[in-house]
Parts: sequence; C-alpha cells; structure tokens
Amino acid sequence: MSALARRLGYGGTLCLAVIVTFALLALFAPWLAPYPDQGMGTPNVIAKLKPPSADFWLGTDHLGRDVLSRVIFGARVSMSAGLLIVAFSLLIGLPVGLLAGYFGGWADEALMRVTDVFLAFPALLLAVLLAAALGPGLLNSIVAVAVTWWPWYARMARAEVLVLRGQPYVEAASVMGVSQGRILIRHILPGAARPLLVQAALDVGPALLTASSLSFLGLGILPPTADWGKMVDEGRKFFPDRWWVSAAPGIAIFLLALAFSVLGDALRDREGDKRRDAA
Amino acid sequence: MNRRDVLKSAALSALAASVPLALPRWSMALAQDGSRIFTLAHPAGFPDLDPATSFSNDGAVLANVYEGLTRYIPGKDDAPATIAPVLATGWETSADGLTWTFKLREGVKFHDGSDLTAEAVKGSIERTTKIAGGAAFIWSPVTAITAPDPLTVVFTLSSPQPLDVIAASGFAAWIMSPAAFDKDNAWFNAGNDAGSGPFKIDRYEPGQRAILTRVADYWGGAPDGAFDTAVFEIVEDAVLDQSMIEGGQADWTYGLAYENLDALKANPDLSVVVNPSFETLFGMYNTKKAPLDRPKVRQALSLAFPYDDVISAGTSGLGSRAKGVIPSGIWGHDPDAPVPNTDLEAAKALLAEEGLTDSNLELVMTYATSDTLEATAGELWKANLAQLGITLTLQPMAWEAQWELAKSDPAAAQDIFVMYWWPTYVTPYDYLFNLFHSEEAPAYNLGYYANPDYDKMIDEAAALSGTDRTKAEAMFKEAQRMVIADSAAVFMLDKPNIHIMRADVNGYQDNPAYGHVVFLNELSR
Repeated sequence: MSALARRLGYGGTLCLAVIVTFALLALFAPWLAPYPDQGMGTPNVIAKLKPPSADFWLGTDHLGRDVLSRVIFGARVSMSAGLLIVAFSLLIGLPVGLLAGYFGGWADEALMRVTDVFLAFPALLLAVLLAAALGPGLLNSIVAVAVTWWPWYARMARAEVLVLRGQPYVEAASVMGVSQGRILIRHILPGAARPLLVQAALDVGPALLTASSLSFLGLGILPPTADWGKMVDEGRKFFPDRWWVSAAPGIAIFLLALAFSVLGDALRDREGDKRRDAA
Repeated sequence: MNRRDVLKSAALSALAASVPLALPRWSMALAQDGSRIFTLAHPAGFPDLDPATSFSNDGAVLANVYEGLTRYIPGKDDAPATIAPVLATGWETSADGLTWTFKLREGVKFHDGSDLTAEAVKGSIERTTKIAGGAAFIWSPVTAITAPDPLTVVFTLSSPQPLDVIAASGFAAWIMSPAAFDKDNAWFNAGNDAGSGPFKIDRYEPGQRAILTRVADYWGGAPDGAFDTAVFEIVEDAVLDQSMIEGGQADWTYGLAYENLDALKANPDLSVVVNPSFETLFGMYNTKKAPLDRPKVRQALSLAFPYDDVISAGTSGLGSRAKGVIPSGIWGHDPDAPVPNTDLEAAKALLAEEGLTDSNLELVMTYATSDTLEATAGELWKANLAQLGITLTLQPMAWEAQWELAKSDPAAAQDIFVMYWWPTYVTPYDYLFNLFHSEEAPAYNLGYYANPDYDKMIDEAAALSGTDRTKAEAMFKEAQRMVIADSAAVFMLDKPNIHIMRADVNGYQDNPAYGHVVFLNELSR
C-alpha cells in the first residue's frame, strides 16, 4: 500500500480504492445487492417511495424498488458506459491521429479537417442530437458520446507523432530500411500511446457524466435497467420532499466521476515526472 | 422556515437564476393591484393560435378569446351533461334531424368592433372547412350553411348528427370576425385575434408567454373580483411549475407528479381539484402480426396487465379502471363492460392453450418518451409478463417517430402501441371510429383492427345519434363489447384530471370536454 501511495499520492490511492469498490459492486451486484430482483427492475408497488429504513437503507423509488440495489446495479451501466466511451474514442482517435501525424500532407489535411468539423460542435449538443437520432439504448448512447469524443484523441495523437517522427531513433530506423508500418507500430505507437492512456483515464469521469446526462434526458438505456442518470431524473419530480430517490444515484455519479478525475490527475503528475526524468 | 423550506428556496433561486421569471415585476408595472392578475404556469406551449386549424393545447388561450355557438357542460352527480348556449341563444332541429336552425345572440361585438351576424358564423365555419386543417372534419356532415336573416343560421346535414354537440367542440368551432376571413395562419400566430370572447390577446411571445386582457364591453358580464389580466407562462418543466404554484408566482397549473399531491393538498394556500377526465390510456395490439393476430394471445396479455398496481403506482390511486375505451362522463360509457381483471393463472392457461408455454416470446411496446405514466404501466406489465415467459421490450420514442413507425408496414411495426385518446367533441363515435374502424392507411387505428360488423354497427349508431340517442348509445356499447371480446386493445386506465390552484381563487369549474382549458371569465379573487 505504501508503495502505491508513493506512486499515486494519498488522494490518488483513495480514489483508486473508490473505483475498485464500485468495480467490485458492479461485478458482484447480484450477490451484493440486498434485493437483486428489484435492482434488475422488478417492481414492488406496495413499498413505493419509502424513506430510508433498516429494510431499505437508501429508501425506495416510485415503483417501490430498493434504491441501494438500484444504485449497485446502476454501477454496471455507468462503469461500462464510461469505459466503453473512452475505449471507442481511442479506437477511432488513435489511428486517425497516428496516420495524420506520420504521413502528413494531404492525409493530414483531410483527416484533421474532419476532426475539426466534429470539434466545431458543442460536444453534449452533438451527443444529444445523435442519441435522439439513433433512438434510446445503452449502446446507442455510448456510440453517440464516442463520436463527439474521439477528435480530442486524434489531435493529441497527432501532436505526439509529430514530435516522435523527428526523433533520431525513428530516423535511424527509417534509414535502416524498416518499413513504414513497422516504424509506426513498433517505434511511434508506444511513445504516443502513453500520454493518451493517461488522458483516457482522466476522461472516464467526464465520459460517464456525459452518458449519465444522456440518460437523464431520456436518451440512455431502456427501462427497467437501473442507470444513475435515469434514476436522478425519475426522482427529480419528488425532490426535495423525497430526496433519497435522486440523491443516492447523484452522489454515486459524483463520487465515481471525481475518483476517476483525481486518479487521472495523479497519473498525469507521475507521467510528467517521468518525462522530466527522461529529459 | 425549516430546513426543507431552505432547500426549496435555494433550489428555486437557482432555477430562477437560469430561467427568466421576470413576471412579478412586470405584473407590478402593469397594474397596481396584483390580485387582478391570474397567472397560469402552463406546462405546454401553443403551437397554433389560428382558430380554424388549432388542434392542440392552444385551446387554453382560444377558449377565452373566441366563442362557439354552444358549450358542453359536463354532468355532475346525477345531473346529465347539457349543451349551454353561448353565441347561439337557442336552436331547433327538423324531424328528420337534417336541418338545424340556430338563433344568434343580439348585441355581441367582436374585438374589432364589428357585430356578430349570421354571415360571420357562416364565414367562420366556411373558412375552417376550406382550410381543412386541424379538426375541420367535425363539420363534414354539414352540406350547406345559409343565413336567412342577420341573427339566424341554418345548417343542412347529410346525415342526422347532433350539431349542437359538434358546435360545442373545443377545436375548429370558433366563430371569428369577418375581417379575419382572409387572414392567413401567420397573422393569427403573430398574436392577433378576431374573437368575441371576454379576453383578447394583448401580447404573445411564442414558447414564452401569452398575455390576455379583459375586453371592456363583453356581453356576458363578469363576476365580482374578476381578473383583468391573464398571463400564461409557458413552463414545460413540472418541477418548476410546482415551485411557481407553491411560491405564489402562479395561480393555476397542472401536470405535476401525482406523488406530490398529498403534500400539495396539505398546503392551506393551495387547492387540488381532482375530477375524472375524458382521457383514457390504452395499448393497441398489432392484430396483423403473429402471435398477436390470435385473439386468445391478446386476451392473455390483457389478463396479465396489472390494472390496480398501475393505478396505485402511476396515479397515486387517483385514476380509475377503464371500462373499455369510452371513459365515464361521456355518453356511451359502459360501466358494466366485461373488461378482464389481472389473473396470471388464467393468462398462463390461455397461453398454454395456444401452445405458447415457455415460448420465449419477445414483444415490443412503444410509448411516448417523456410520459411517466406510460413508462410505469410498461414496467409493471413487463414484470407480470416475465412470469409468463414473455419478454416485453419497452421502447420509448418521440411521438412523431412512434406514430410514423406505426403507420408504416404493420408486419414491421410495434407489437403494442400505447397512447392516450380524448375526444375532439363529446361523442363516443370519435373514440370508436378513430381507434378501431378499419382503415386503408392507418391514421389512429394503430392496432390495424378490422371488423366489418363493428364498422357497420358504429356507423349506424353515429347516424342515429342525432335522432335516437338511446338506441345509438346501446349500439355504441355493443360495438365496444365487440372490441373487448376480440381483445383488440388493453384498456389500462382512465386518467384523472388534476388541477392545482391557489386557494383564494373562486369560481373554478373543471370541464373535461375542453382539455386543460380554464374559462377565465368565471374566476374571481
């Protein structure tokens, strides 16, 4: 633990612990949730809108379902949404940035203008438009956010590649007759990927926030699957008289998004140290 | 001030910072005495203020600016519903029900100063039918309108229809000044009006607010303490509407969460008016697509619907069981209709009979994205169907998309289409024709139900409704029982009509025939 704390700082370690806790909750939701069937959506109308009690630690929602169980099951959706958005974005952004940066010329121009088009839109607005066009659903909302997200990675990757392309070891490889594809993958990608991965870790928080915003607006996962953004929306009508319906998932979003951001910060600081060391 | 109030006012001021609620100060400037201003926190906007084509929430404004020949007054306790005279003072019909003669009120002036004449009535209805938008179809039985003298209008019909009820319609039946006959839709939607009602449109900011002011010499007079100004603040967020009514920034609103009504009822500053509405919620089964083309499968689904749970969870117990498609309060309502009750065992048995035990059947139910009650009904139904081995996929869609999908190829469309219906004018034919009469290209018969016996029955009943109401009513009931026997739809519930007002407002009467219309001239403080 102390080694970890040295690497990430105490804040970073704490955040890692929060993320691991949520990840475990998500993974083992059916065993950890007090009412797994309600977590998955079975209504329990007789107990609707009950305040927190010994039976329902975080109260119940408008269909009488245990809010704690719903929050635990909701972790699955929010976690996977956050991670998948970033993964999809990397999958598009990284290759685009690599190609644009390495080959330059018209490829660079063409690819970067496309990226600029996407960057010209306000991200959430574009995501809302896309999600509305694709129709509600978890995968659709993830795709909608990823489409607005990848240009940032493309730009970052391109910038890294531009630096790396002029490095002596890359030129040396080129002179020795190593093929362009091999140079790109073996010599440039590893160097360019690391700062991108740190950025990705930083972005999981905002990504899951955006995904939650979409479900808050009714463009996310379909009912009755538990989702934090959707739960906040459902409880909004009862706020503040029955605060627990919105507050519990809201706090969960806050904690997880904050944890990812602070952890990402810690990682970035470390990355910065490394670069200074290398220089 | 307890903690909850602090929270509320904090939330409210946060909202106020983001939404321009400049109203109170503006009202002050308008009149020294703020008590003469009636403010409505209106959860829906007004898409079309043209009295000929309006077919939406616009009635809230138009019903105070324009008048029709008659008005529908709902039955109360044991008193039956009646048709009250407005611009007409009386009417009579020929023995065959094909000629209707309306006598007009003397001394009525439009807001532009011109007099109400038979030519104005004739011209208004002709403008409406010529444009043929919105609800203009209500005049389809009328073949000719004549004006034998300035205060007499004679209608000739192609079939005996209750024209006094049609003339009371909340849409397409408004009478306008002759000066407006050649005006286009844009003129009306710029906030101009040509009515004879107790209020005129003073200012209209689309999507924001409409401000009506009292007309000085209205023929109908006004109660003591009547309001001089009415402000419709369009606030589409129910949470904000609730804050406004609780904070005294609004005098009237609707559409708040049912779950909050107990708290609102306990508030001495507010009164909560609960009435049955003419709105009914149902799901139409796709009768053109397997396996719902089999009546017994549809019946099994209806038996699995959690009627009481949806009423208690979705409407806090304020809704009522739907007895077929025609809600109570409208003639043709059948209180003894044999609608199914929730019975999962019976549903299971029926499915077994049809060879659908553990069939892993998957059905798609479409409903409107923002509608909580429809979502609740879907979620509860889904849970019951899961016990029968049926997976119900809940597909919320924007209304336009939901409707487009349903109007496309039935074989590729949804399995269950959920929506509300309320009548254009108060007749059972409106429900029964639009929803279940066979159609070449579906418009609202979105379960694609086709039954020639049924079509014949309601068409005949409609033809009789002007002359022999009793016989027509019996036939409408029988037709409705055909739909129930065929399980063409699941009748989920009759929606309650709930309006929230400040307690110091007097004279409010809910009239379900006119959606969420407030007749401002009846109110006082």
